Amino acid sequence: MQFDSFTFVVFFAVVLCAYNALRGWAARKWLLLVASYVFYTAWNPLFLPLLVGSATLDFWIAQRIHASTERAARKRWIVATLLINLGVLGLFKYHAFLLDNFAALLALAGLRYVPARFDIVLPIGISFYTFHSLSYCLDIYRGKFEPTRNWRDYALYVAFFPQLVAGPITRFTQMREQIETPRQTTRELLGLGCALLVLGLFEKCVLADTVFAPVADAFFNSVSSASAAAAWSGTLAFSGQIFCDFAGYSTCAIGAALALGFKLPINFRFPYAAAGFSDFWRRWHISLSTWLRDYLYVSLGGNRRGQWRTYVNLMLTMLIGGLWHGAAWTFVIWGGLHGLFLAAERFARERLLPAKWQAPALLRFGYGLLTLLLVTLTWIWFRAPDAATAWQAFAHLLPATGNGAALDSGQMFAVVGFALVTAVHWLMRDRDLLTWQQRLPAPVIGIALGLMLAMIVLSPGDNHAFIYFQF
Amino acid sequence: MHSSTSSSDAPVGRRWLGAWLLAIALAVAVCALAEAHWRALGYRSNILDSRQLWAQQRERVDSGSGIALALLGASRTEFGIDPKRLRERLPKYRPVMLAVDAHYPLATLRDLAADADFRGVVLCDLDAVGYLRVYWDMQQPYVDYFHKQWTPSWNLHRRLLTDWQRSAVIANPAFGWKASLTHALEGSEPFHDYIRYYANRSGDIDYRQTDPESTKRHFAQAMEGNIAALPPHDPQRWLADLAPMHAWIGAIAARGGSVIFYSSPVNGLQREALQRVFPREQYWDRLVAAFPEAHFLDALDVPALSHFDLPDDSHMDYRDKPAYADALAATLVERGYLSR
Repeated sequence: MQFDSFTFVVFFAVVLCAYNALRGWAARKWLLLVASYVFYTAWNPLFLPLLVGSATLDFWIAQRIHASTERAARKRWIVATLLINLGVLGLFKYHAFLLDNFAALLALAGLRYVPARFDIVLPIGISFYTFHSLSYCLDIYRGKFEPTRNWRDYALYVAFFPQLVAGPITRFTQMREQIETPRQTTRELLGLGCALLVLGLFEKCVLADTVFAPVADAFFNSVSSASAAAAWSGTLAFSGQIFCDFAGYSTCAIGAALALGFKLPINFRFPYAAAGFSDFWRRWHISLSTWLRDYLYVSLGGNRRGQWRTYVNLMLTMLIGGLWHGAAWTFVIWGGLHGLFLAAERFARERLLPAKWQAPALLRFGYGLLTLLLVTLTWIWFRAPDAATAWQAFAHLLPATGNGAALDSGQMFAVVGFALVTAVHWLMRDRDLLTWQQRLPAPVIGIALGLMLAMIVLSPGDNHAFIYFQF
Repeated sequence: MHSSTSSSDAPVGRRWLGAWLLAIALAVAVCALAEAHWRALGYRSNILDSRQLWAQQRERVDSGSGIALALLGASRTEFGIDPKRLRERLPKYRPVMLAVDAHYPLATLRDLAADADFRGVVLCDLDAVGYLRVYWDMQQPYVDYFHKQWTPSWNLHRRLLTDWQRSAVIANPAFGWKASLTHALEGSEPFHDYIRYYANRSGDIDYRQTDPESTKRHFAQAMEGNIAALPPHDPQRWLADLAPMHAWIGAIAARGGSVIFYSSPVNGLQREALQRVFPREQYWDRLVAAFPEAHFLDALDVPALSHFDLPDDSHMDYRDKPAYADALAATLVERGYLSR
C-alpha cells in the first residue's frame, strides 16, 4: 500500500496501537513481520512467497557460508546466492530487455528472431529487498559479523514495511541491534516520526504530484511539439519531481520507522546543493550509492589497481547503477553520464587542479550551479521513454526550436517550485534536519506542520505511484 | 533522540504534543475556511470517477445476489441509465455500471467474455462508430487496472475516498490549493459542474444549470470532428472486423448469459451525422443479421425510448432518467431479452 493512501493511515494506526499494546519484544517483532507482509500483499499477494522464499534462502545460505571452513566452499555458497538473487531479479526485471537486445544483435548478423513476450509483472520492491539480502550474505562472506540464528529477525530486517518497497537500503549492521534490543514508541519519537511522515507526504502530494508531475508529464508526453519554455520547465519540473517523489518516500519511511522506535539511515542530504558529482552522490540516494561503492566498486578493485582501472571501475559501477534503475538503455546512458562526470571530476581534482580544489565559497557555489545544471539535464535520460525522445527533448531546449511561447501558470509554479526546493537545499546543505528541528520552538513546528497538513489535504487527485516503486 | 522511555522524554514529548495540537488546529481551520468559502459561492461536493471506482464496480459483476446486468457504454449510459431504478424494475437482476464517459466499451465486453465467473447479461450501448476496430481498446486501461493493480487495499482506500469526496468540496482537485491560486491569479472561478456523480458510477446531468444549446453545438462539432478523423471504413470491412465478437458472445452464452447490443436515443444534428456516415441499413441492420446469437435493440424503433427530449441531442436530463429506465426495462422484458 502507498503511504499517501487512506488505507495506510488505517493500517499504520492499527499497527502502532497493536505494537504498543503488546508486552513482549518477541511478540512485537512477530507483529511487525506479519504487518510487513500484509503491507506487501496489499500490492500483489502472489509475490509474498517470493519475498519469504528469497529471505529464507539467504538466511540459510548465510549460515552455510559462516559454517564453512574452506575458502572454496564459502566461495561456492556466495556464488550460489549471487546467481539465485540476480537470476530472479534478471528474470523479472531484465528478461525482456535481454531478449530484445539479443534479437537486435542477431539482426545485425542477418538472423531474424522475434522474442516471445511473457506477461511477467515486476514484483514491487524486488530491487530493494534483493540488495538487502545480498549485502547480508556478502558481509557474512567477508567475515564482518556472524549471521543471526533467528529467522524472524532476519525476515523482519528484509521485510520491515517502512523500507520494504523503496528503501532506504539498510545494512544488517544498521538494523541488528535495533531488532535484537527491545524498543517502543515514545512521545518524542511519535511526534518526530509523524512530523517526518507529514513532511514526506508534503513532498510527495503537494510538490511532486501537484506542482511538478503535470508539467513534466505534459512535456515528456509531447516532446515533439514543445516550445523551449515548455522544454526547460518540463526538465526542471522532472528534476523537482524525482527528488520530491523519492525523498518524500524516504522521509515517510524514516518517519514511520521512527514512530515504532527504529532509526533508518538518512537517504538524501539536500542533493541539489551539491558542489560536484562526488558530493552529489554523497547526498543523493545515499543508501544505494554506498551499497554500490561497498559491494561493487570495492569488489571490482576500487582505486587500488591503478589510475585507469579506477576510472574503469567508476564507469562500470555507474553503468550498473543506471541499469539497476530500469531495464532500458536510457538508464544505462544516465548512469554512464554520471560515471563520466565523476571520472572527469576525479581527473581534474588529481591532475589538473590539485592545489585549487579547496576553492573559495563563490567558486564552489558556481561549481554547484554547474553540477545542478548537468544533473538536471541528465535527468532527461532518466525520464525519456527512449533515446529518440531524449535527443528530441535536448533539441527543444534550444531557444531556436519550437515556438517561443511564454510559461503558463502551471509551468510557472513548477519553475518557482524548483527554485524554492533548490534554495532550501542551499540553505540547509551543511545542516542535519533532525538536529536542526530541535532548535525550533514548538509553535514554529506546529505552524509549519499545520500548513503542510492543510496543503496535503488541499492537494487531492489520483494516487500516483512513487516513481521508485518501478525499480 | 531517545529510543526508549526516559524521564527526559517528558519535556520533549510535551513540546511535540503542543506542536501537534497547534498543527491539527491550524490544518482544520485552514481546510474548514476553504470549504466554507467554496460552499458560500454555491459549489457542492461531488464524487469523482476514476479507474478505482470502475474497478470497484467491476468486482461487483462477479459477486452479489441476482443475475449481474453489466451496463456497458459511454456517457449516454453512464449519465442516462439509473442502475437503482433499473434494479427496482428488474428485481432478478443486479445492474452494474461499467460505462466510461468518452470511452467505447468493446474492451470491457471482451474482458467479461474471458471472465469464467461472469454468468450474467451484458447491455452494451454503442453507436456504429464504436464498433470500429480502432476504438476497441478504449476501455482497456480500465480492464488492465482491474486485473493487474486492483487489490483489497485500494478498495478500502477508494471507499474512504468516496466518503471524503461525498462530504467535502475541497476533495475535488478543482478546489485544491493550486487550482485556487491559479484562479486567483487569473481572476477566474472554478467551473460550476452540472453533473452530480454517485458511488455506483451513474451520474445526473442537470441541464437547468447549463446552456443546452451551446452543449448541443459543442457535441455536434465534436462529432463532425471525430467523423472527419475516422479511419477509412466501409460496411464490409466494418462487419468483417467484428468477427471476434462471435467468440465473445458465444463464451458468455455458454455460461448461461447473454449479450444485448443497444443503440441509445440520439437526436438532431448528431443523429443526422451518424445516419449520413453510417447509414443504418448498411451498418446496424447488417450487424443484426450477422449476429443471430445476440440480441439487438435500437431505441429509434421504440417510441417509448425515443420520445425523450435530449437537451444536447444525445444525453438525458436527470429528471427523465426514472421514466427512461422504466421504458428500457419494459422494452427488454417485452422483447424477451430479460425477465421480471
